[in-house]
Amino acid sequence: MVNLEDLKKEAKTVLEEGKVKYIIGYEKSANGLMPVPGFIKSPEEVEKLIWTPACVYNLTKFLVDEKRRKSREKKPDERPVGLVVKGCDSRALVVLLQEKFINRDDVFIIGVSCEETGVIDEKKLIKKLKGKKAEKIEFDEKDNFIVTTQEGKVKIAASEVLAERCLECKANSPVIYDVLLGEKAKRSVDNPFQSLEKIESLPERERWKFWKEQLSKCIRCYACRSVCPMCYCDECVADTINFAVTADTTAEEKAQKIKWLEKSPVKSENFVYHLVRAIHLAGRCIDCGECERVCPLDIPIRFLNKKLEKDAKELFDYEAGFDPEQPSLVSSFKDEDPEDFIR
Amino acid sequence: MKRTGVFICHCGINIAGTVDVKKAAKELAKHKGVVHSEEYVYMCSDPGQNLIIDAIKEKKLDNVVIACCSPTLHETTFRNAAKSAGINTFQCEIANIREQCSWVHKDMNKATDKAIKITKSAVERVRRNESLEPISVPVTRRALVIGGGIAGIQSALDLANSGFEVVLVERSPSIGGHMIQLSETFPTLDCSQCILTPKMVEVSKHPKIKLMTYSEVQEVSGYVGNFKVKILKKPTYVDPDKCTLCDECSKVCPVLVSNEFDLGLTGRRAIYIPFPQAIPATYTLDIKGCPGLLPIACGKCADVCEPEAIDYDMKPEIVEEEVGAIIVTTGYDLYDKENMAEYGYGKYADVLDGLQFERLCSASGPTMGKILRPSDHKEPKEVVFIQCVGSRDPELHCAYCSKICCMYTAKHAMLYKHHVHDGQAYIFYIDIRSGGKGYEEFVQRAVEEDGVLYLRGKVSKIFEDKGKIKVWGVDTLSGKDIEIDADMVVLATAMRPSKGAEELAKKLKIAMDKDGFLSEAHPKLRPVESVTSGMFLAGAAQAPKDIPEAVAQASGAAAKAIAILSQDRLYHAPTVAKVNLNLCTGCGMCVEVCPYEALSLKDGKVEVNEVLCEGCGTCSATCLRAAIQVKNLTPLQVHEMISISLGG
Repeated sequence: MVNLEDLKKEAKTVLEEGKVKYIIGYEKSANGLMPVPGFIKSPEEVEKLIWTPACVYNLTKFLVDEKRRKSREKKPDERPVGLVVKGCDSRALVVLLQEKFINRDDVFIIGVSCEETGVIDEKKLIKKLKGKKAEKIEFDEKDNFIVTTQEGKVKIAASEVLAERCLECKANSPVIYDVLLGEKAKRSVDNPFQSLEKIESLPERERWKFWKEQLSKCIRCYACRSVCPMCYCDECVADTINFAVTADTTAEEKAQKIKWLEKSPVKSENFVYHLVRAIHLAGRCIDCGECERVCPLDIPIRFLNKKLEKDAKELFDYEAGFDPEQPSLVSSFKDEDPEDFIR
Repeated sequence: MKRTGVFICHCGINIAGTVDVKKAAKELAKHKGVVHSEEYVYMCSDPGQNLIIDAIKEKKLDNVVIACCSPTLHETTFRNAAKSAGINTFQCEIANIREQCSWVHKDMNKATDKAIKITKSAVERVRRNESLEPISVPVTRRALVIGGGIAGIQSALDLANSGFEVVLVERSPSIGGHMIQLSETFPTLDCSQCILTPKMVEVSKHPKIKLMTYSEVQEVSGYVGNFKVKILKKPTYVDPDKCTLCDECSKVCPVLVSNEFDLGLTGRRAIYIPFPQAIPATYTLDIKGCPGLLPIACGKCADVCEPEAIDYDMKPEIVEEEVGAIIVTTGYDLYDKENMAEYGYGKYADVLDGLQFERLCSASGPTMGKILRPSDHKEPKEVVFIQCVGSRDPELHCAYCSKICCMYTAKHAMLYKHHVHDGQAYIFYIDIRSGGKGYEEFVQRAVEEDGVLYLRGKVSKIFEDKGKIKVWGVDTLSGKDIEIDADMVVLATAMRPSKGAEELAKKLKIAMDKDGFLSEAHPKLRPVESVTSGMFLAGAAQAPKDIPEAVAQASGAAAKAIAILSQDRLYHAPTVAKVNLNLCTGCGMCVEVCPYEALSLKDGKVEVNEVLCEGCGTCSATCLRAAIQVKNLTPLQVHEMISISLGG
């Protein structure tokens, strides 16, 4: 089991040695159960760090912000940023390294293993507790969590409250790290795409109906885009004005900005937005599930990404986020790649 | 608003038969920015071109759209017309309303609507075109020829005699290819060695030819006019300048291996000269058979070598060459023995392939020109020749016709009769294909003067019985089963692309057809050019062919190469990729995906080599951030073209 004191010790050491400029981890929030991202700048602050089954967030997104901030600084601090990553988060980091968006030297990776369990789905937990308010959640030996409520402690089987993605996890412990806390674990999952089985079994018309209903709900708040570590483009096709105005932009170009899709959250435009996003994540998404977690309308966005992940695996034997040196899915070609779609 | 002119071609009835060109011209005239719109029966004709030129001048057009056939046909014609009227060539775009519209539709109303949309979208595109000038690059005025068979020799000589330096690379120890193995050549029966060796000598003495035998092309980079080639020079362990060809080394060499020049009919030593007239005239130590390069292991050859030409310390060497054009003449190999087990090939000593029979007929061959059975050295009295062995058999072997076998089998039967007057030659055939100057007469001569018996049919079984080779078959003309007690069987096995050609084609980025032969750029109009500009093909590497065809193609390829090498500078289309540095995150996906290796990462951003870039747009399609786009086909242009097609 990951010992929080070890995590604090590692964090303290690198901060004291001045190896990192700060550490991004998880810290306790006012709400109690769910933590918030914490930015630990001094050895004294490491006491704030926590590690619980509620540490769901994929903190690699903050590296994108860090890169932007650094590029604006005149004399940037060249030291790396310390980053606490779970197995899934580490795969996101691998993709960022593969796409050369982040340099390996710019990040000090503090890996934490989920070992045999994973992190919770807050909604599942609330349902499970039937109105009782959880104040604290801890890892227990074996496959259980210990939840503290006002009425005392309860033991809950992890499988009942684990996030959906954890049930299909391919990397229970970080695939890349500078220090690793906890055991290297490899939980075997029978079918990493089991959640897709139901929707895949539906006839085409039913699936179309399903997505029409789901995507009609979208209010285009773009929370999914904001939270996604892969959505780091400076300009997004979803923005009404999809045109970076630069020194070389001619007046005529400025006058004729392309509007690929309308801003209004109507079904057709929502489809364009979500499908473009899904395609742009093909071979890149590592299923951290953050998009679906933050969606205020409960749209099952993960299904879209998961389906493409499955296609990539089945058609091209490609898995994202394990090897920073491998060529990306869309830019690589093998002689034996299927081509029966070419007619 | 830019002033656009639209010109719609009838192409006789090719377009006007399905598209209402008058209506289309009228509709286009209403389109925003179009100040001139007309139709004409043949826009590509001189009067048609003049319509365009006059309209540009009179109506002060900024750009023009020609709605006609595919841009691969007349884009250059119309762009030159536009240029002569004083506008930039890139202010002329083609709307393809023939191949992509009139030819593929029947309903006139719908076809007309579609033609209007295609033309309108071209108008939207051309209005946003940049005026560009061709990119100019210098030319390295040297050529590389890969393969030293008759085609390679011919190309190299033609280039060298035109004054250009040539690097001729051959992977075996001598040039000459398969032609030097042949005895006589059809249809004139001149001695193959006698007509080839003068050319080989010319190669070796030519001041403009740098001959590199026992060498292989390792890596090719660069682009037309400026290729960089890395060539691996394998060690021969013999200094050709010191070697006096005394043959003492091979006399003491204890190693005996199969002689590839005689196709295994004889043996040779590990240190050897492939054949007496080999170019370069020197010995080669083949380490595959040699017990070791250490004097301690054997060292006999070095001991007896008086001029001290043998150097065991010779190392492989990488030679870098710069050339402007490349001719690939990698030739053929015969279909593998293993594939033809049904004919007893490889199992019975007296079942031979065509090249082995050539060696038996050859005056310099293993039997000094006497046709004798390999098994018992007796003169065969009945010989069966079988055509189409592996060829024209799409189910089991090669679908194509190997083209030369009808002719050389007739020649073999004829040569056999000239050697063995009382012998009988039988030929099993499917069809006789003797198209070519003097070819049909040659086959007739075999039948009439030499009494060769042609049997139309296939052989069903071949097996050995009491020192004879029993050949069972059927004569489909008489319907009779045929049984021949043959002394020897000669198989006309299929021609295959030479081994290693595929690997080389990948290095050169030359396409191959389904059979593995190198693909020409156009089967009719560009038969010696590969799809990669600056690289040309000749000989059997491209398709099965005989000597005169290989020589003609080799000269053709040389002429095409000279067309490049004789230029001071080459011009390259400027419609290349352009990077928006503000959007580029340096992920490198486009670098990996570029088929022309035109992109590279520099300081975290992508850089385009405009000369290598062919403007294919694969990068643009791959980039998630629209940070790289092809000039004159930008996302904005594509967007506007789609919008107008959907109804504006």
